Amino acid sequence: MSRNSFCGSQDHAMSRRRFLGATTTAAATMAGVGVFGDRALAQALKQKDKRVIMLWLAGGASQLETWDPKPGRPTGGPFFDTATSVPGVRISELMPLVAARLHRHTALIRSLNTENGDHGGGSVLMMRGRKNEPNLEYPDLGSILAHELGQADSQVPDYVSIYSQTEGRNFSKIGPGFLGSRYAPVQLTDRMGLENVTRPGSISELDHHQRADLRSLWSQRFARGRENEAVGSHATAYGRVAGLMASDRLFDVSREPQRVRDRYGPTQFGEHALIARRLIEAGVPFVRVARAWWDSHSQNFESHQELVPELDRVMSTLLDDLGERGLLDHTLVITTAEFGRTPQINPSLGRDHFATAWSSTLSGVGVNPGAVYGKTDADGQRVADGEVGAGEFFATIFQALGIDHEHELYVGARPIPLVNPGIEPIREVLA
Amino acid sequence: MKLAEQRKIGRQDILFCMARAADSSRVFCGSSDFKVYELDLAADEPARRTFSGHRSYVTGAALTAHGTLVTCGYDRQLVWWDVESGKPFRRTIAHERWARKVAASPDGTLVASVADDMVARVWNAWTGDLLDELRGHEPLTPQHFHSMLYTCVFSPDGEFLATADRVGHVVVWELASGNPVATLESPEHYTWDPRQRRRSIGGVRSLAFAPDGNLLAVGGVGQIGNVDGLGGKALVHVYDWRRGERTHKFEHDGHKGLVEDLHFLRDGRQLLAGGGAQKGFLLLVDVERQEFVYDTEAPMHVHQLDLDLSTNQLIAVGHGAVVVWQMDDEA
Amino acid sequence: MKPACFFGASFVMTLVAVTASAQPPAEATIFEAVDNFIDTRMAEAQVSPAPPASDTTYIRRLTLDLAGRIPAVAEVQSYVAAADSDKRGRLVDRLIESAEFPEYMATRFDWFITAGNGGIRNYLSTAFQENRGWDQVFRDILLADLSTDQGALDYLKSRVADTDKLANEVSVTFFGVNISCAKCHDHPLVADWTQDHFYGMKSFFSRTFENGGYVAERDYGLVSYQTVDGDQRQARLLFLTGKDVTPEDLSEPNEEERKKAEARFRELKKKEEAPPQPKHSLRRQLAELALEDGQNHFFARAIVNRVWHQLFGRGLVMPLDQMHTENPPSHPELLTWLADDFVAHGYDLRRLIRGLVLSRAYARGSRWEGSQRPPTELFAAAIPRPLTPTQLARSLSLATTDQSQLDCEVPNGLQQAVAEAAEARNADRFDQPEDGFQIAADEALYFTNSEEFEKQYLHAGLKQQLLNIEDRRQLADNAVWATLCRAADEEELQLLGDYLTEREDRREQAIEQLIWGLLTSSEFRFNH
Repeated sequence: MSRNSFCGSQDHAMSRRRFLGATTTAAATMAGVGVFGDRALAQALKQKDKRVIMLWLAGGASQLETWDPKPGRPTGGPFFDTATSVPGVRISELMPLVAARLHRHTALIRSLNTENGDHGGGSVLMMRGRKNEPNLEYPDLGSILAHELGQADSQVPDYVSIYSQTEGRNFSKIGPGFLGSRYAPVQLTDRMGLENVTRPGSISELDHHQRADLRSLWSQRFARGRENEAVGSHATAYGRVAGLMASDRLFDVSREPQRVRDRYGPTQFGEHALIARRLIEAGVPFVRVARAWWDSHSQNFESHQELVPELDRVMSTLLDDLGERGLLDHTLVITTAEFGRTPQINPSLGRDHFATAWSSTLSGVGVNPGAVYGKTDADGQRVADGEVGAGEFFATIFQALGIDHEHELYVGARPIPLVNPGIEPIREVLA
Repeated sequence: MKLAEQRKIGRQDILFCMARAADSSRVFCGSSDFKVYELDLAADEPARRTFSGHRSYVTGAALTAHGTLVTCGYDRQLVWWDVESGKPFRRTIAHERWARKVAASPDGTLVASVADDMVARVWNAWTGDLLDELRGHEPLTPQHFHSMLYTCVFSPDGEFLATADRVGHVVVWELASGNPVATLESPEHYTWDPRQRRRSIGGVRSLAFAPDGNLLAVGGVGQIGNVDGLGGKALVHVYDWRRGERTHKFEHDGHKGLVEDLHFLRDGRQLLAGGGAQKGFLLLVDVERQEFVYDTEAPMHVHQLDLDLSTNQLIAVGHGAVVVWQMDDEA
Repeated sequence: MKPACFFGASFVMTLVAVTASAQPPAEATIFEAVDNFIDTRMAEAQVSPAPPASDTTYIRRLTLDLAGRIPAVAEVQSYVAAADSDKRGRLVDRLIESAEFPEYMATRFDWFITAGNGGIRNYLSTAFQENRGWDQVFRDILLADLSTDQGALDYLKSRVADTDKLANEVSVTFFGVNISCAKCHDHPLVADWTQDHFYGMKSFFSRTFENGGYVAERDYGLVSYQTVDGDQRQARLLFLTGKDVTPEDLSEPNEEERKKAEARFRELKKKEEAPPQPKHSLRRQLAELALEDGQNHFFARAIVNRVWHQLFGRGLVMPLDQMHTENPPSHPELLTWLADDFVAHGYDLRRLIRGLVLSRAYARGSRWEGSQRPPTELFAAAIPRPLTPTQLARSLSLATTDQSQLDCEVPNGLQQAVAEAAEARNADRFDQPEDGFQIAADEALYFTNSEEFEKQYLHAGLKQQLLNIEDRRQLADNAVWATLCRAADEEELQLLGDYLTEREDRREQAIEQLIWGLLTSSEFRFNH
């Protein structure tokens, strides 16, 4: 067995030298228990200013009523498929707007087999690209990218998650894991905006600033000769207050012209997608917009008739809007969920949970537009070609953003690659 | 009432609708496999011809005065079939969106179709000419989502057509003028969940005029807490539609799901409801006494019922089965 | 790094003494041993330590670590004023013997043992009050269902559903070993941890299960697993040391006997009655084995490392759950010495803590004057540590109390009054600092804009007390004493004086802002 990588197993390969706690360099010491080993790489990424919007179709949207229709099959349901702007590629008739612009930005992955058909497990898996270990909680995609793409002294939040419906909110189990609370998401549920962002009435603007100066002065005197990561983070946290207070305006859609709001449509999902655009435009690296709750165990066709056209409108508007603003060059838009839905139709005309053969999409930076990867069989029961899991999906996301998927995070001295070794990105959907 | 199950024909598909000529044991059933199946329920081997022509679920079937079968489907089409040859002799793209039901007038000279373009269209059953378009249902729900127009039924005297939609809006149309003469609101048949799952479920799925034409029964499912499922009570409202008043409300604690089909029996004294969720049900209401007098679980989720009064049989088609019961009236 | 003139004479003498013999004398106290080994390694690395912490810094640090709060002004001033050479020892004893010590230790230990899942704080409070040995605490937790004292039962109850996880958590908490890696295959780098070890540990727990809300343990049941080569193996009862205690006759009941036993369990479950204790508990066997002579070094080293980590901000082995031969301690002989000493003295936690906080290593200043701060593992300077939620909440309360109003007539006088004033309000608002902790922006927003914070802390007793002080310099000095536990220096007095002068027209608000600036400063936020 080769000792270059950690046992060569799929589960966890770690480089020997690093695992044994290689001698700490001065730089590593200054960083304390450094989370990222390769600071030069992180810097390069920041310069490129990448952003991500994830449309999280909570509850599990049906791939048969969206990206991978099977019209005419016993499992296909009543809806037709429709031609898209990519010759030979057809998606559900419920998504005509996305179909018309598929060639511009979007790649489909139709061959996901993620094996986990329960909301909790599926969410953990699809937000992290892997399962957690018994004593190790992995950071989710937002936290990793907040760390990678966020600025230390950023005036805007690094990671925002918008999830207003109550169903499935806690299944979703997002969070920074071992990266720590600095990279935790700002979680918006009912009120769009951060907590404690309004200056209390009891203090004037001048005093608000000047007492902050007092604080800062004391802290600087203290920090001299005592630099470590925790002390540094304290100063950073306060350094961001003014910017975060100011960024409250980003959540206020009334600042957008009515015609823009109208494009996104009158629904809550549309409004949240517009907020997401505002956030990433202002420099927030990662925004997740959840649209719950797709779990159509009954009346699947009625539900999808309701929700898929909304997704069609919101996604196409978002891509158009980002494109028009020149943001799509460095923004990745992801649609995914915890799993898909069964080809089998139950007596309530519903579809149940299904992780064996389902779809997700990537649009924007680093993506090969119009690409379709993978095939499911005639009835959508199994992947027929190009089976991939959550790991491959994440490796592809990282590559699209210009991040090396073999790059390592650290928990103390233990190296943790971004995806498990042996997992490769899906080259066909990458530009 | 007593129902004795006489036969059950298991199927791989879902049968959404059926049409049967009076005094005939032959039924024409519309399927999820896009075909129409002719079955002779009196025969040992019931399968007869299979009609192909639709390109999606066949959701409605009706027989005209001329003995032709008219069906509608998710493919937006109305198809006229020559029942002898089994061939379609006319196809019309009848709607812009998914067609949900087709009904024949009592004299069989008209057919009406409804679809999710929220328009009811009235056709000459013989020529297939479009006679009227009835628009009175909002295309979007109050929450800005596409709505559905589920069902229509002619009054016994053939003068009126009732239509009903997703949000519980019911319209009665005067056919001579094409004008709406009554509207009824039954929002209880529509659940919109703003908070937990932010989507809707339900809708009025079935309509029936009483024989005297004065009462209109409206069926669907009551309010649902968890819109992932059909866990609401089977719900029927009855209205004196001319006065715009609701006269009866029937909801069954023990049976959950959609009331997919309604039939008045015994001169309007009883009302039979069939439907289901994961399981199926049959419910019988005594209209005068305002109570349920019979209920049973059906072998499958029932999509449509038919009563053969000549043989006193009740026929149901639905999810994966056709069932025939012998009805025993109580005195 | 400054040359020799920077050091006091005492250090030079120690240096000489150390090079002469690298071992502490046979009857050395804990603190002597600690300083011996720490100084030796520093000398080898040619690093000089930071100067000792001042009195005000030391008492602040110690009070935070032992009582979970900053000291009251009177406590600091009395300590500073004391002239006896024994004052440090007396302070340590006062704090350890106070009622606050067991309470705070219970809170800290509950966090590292349970992380909020199946908390056992009340049990730990009693255990610390009685100064129960750590070996006893271990048995109390691991065998709660089998003992008369079931105070710590929630630990097992919350974990019994997943014995893999339970085995690993016990291993991490009590043995400093995370073997979850070895579940699927041998750990390729660490010979200590093979798949046999993982399943060996798991075996001790495999008969434990939940029976209708009760923790139960069978008298039968074996673990089998598949190796990477596809072999099916029966797990041995194998401890981390490699000692195999699998009995010769591993007789299992036959199918019928097993069914009967299971039926009995089910019956008891239905009746909601406690199941019988097993004739031979594998969990008890593990507990006894872990404490046996020749086997107990995992147990002893793990707790010593934890307590060291808690007091110094960095363990002798890092990470805490990677105590294996390929990840050596920063001071191997020290860890061994401390572990042996701990075992020899009945696993006495108070004694260990007392010894550690009396060392010079613990009492170093945290500021480094030179350009290149030495690696933290040399312990040449104290590591600034973020306050825990309890420390932060209690310190905020105490700092903003009008301390001149403390009722010292109660028994135990000042300390009790202070303990009551230092109420832990909303401690769950704050995050537990783990290794690599980063303070999140929403804490800063909370402190900055929250009305709740304003009401609780800026409008409290301290503000009233300061309002009544006319002289600005005195006001400033008082404010700094109350919050930062020291006198204000000239620069601070000037700065604050100016701040107040500019706000004559809104004096009350100015005082609130002053308090705010102090409470939100890093100096307050950290244990340094």
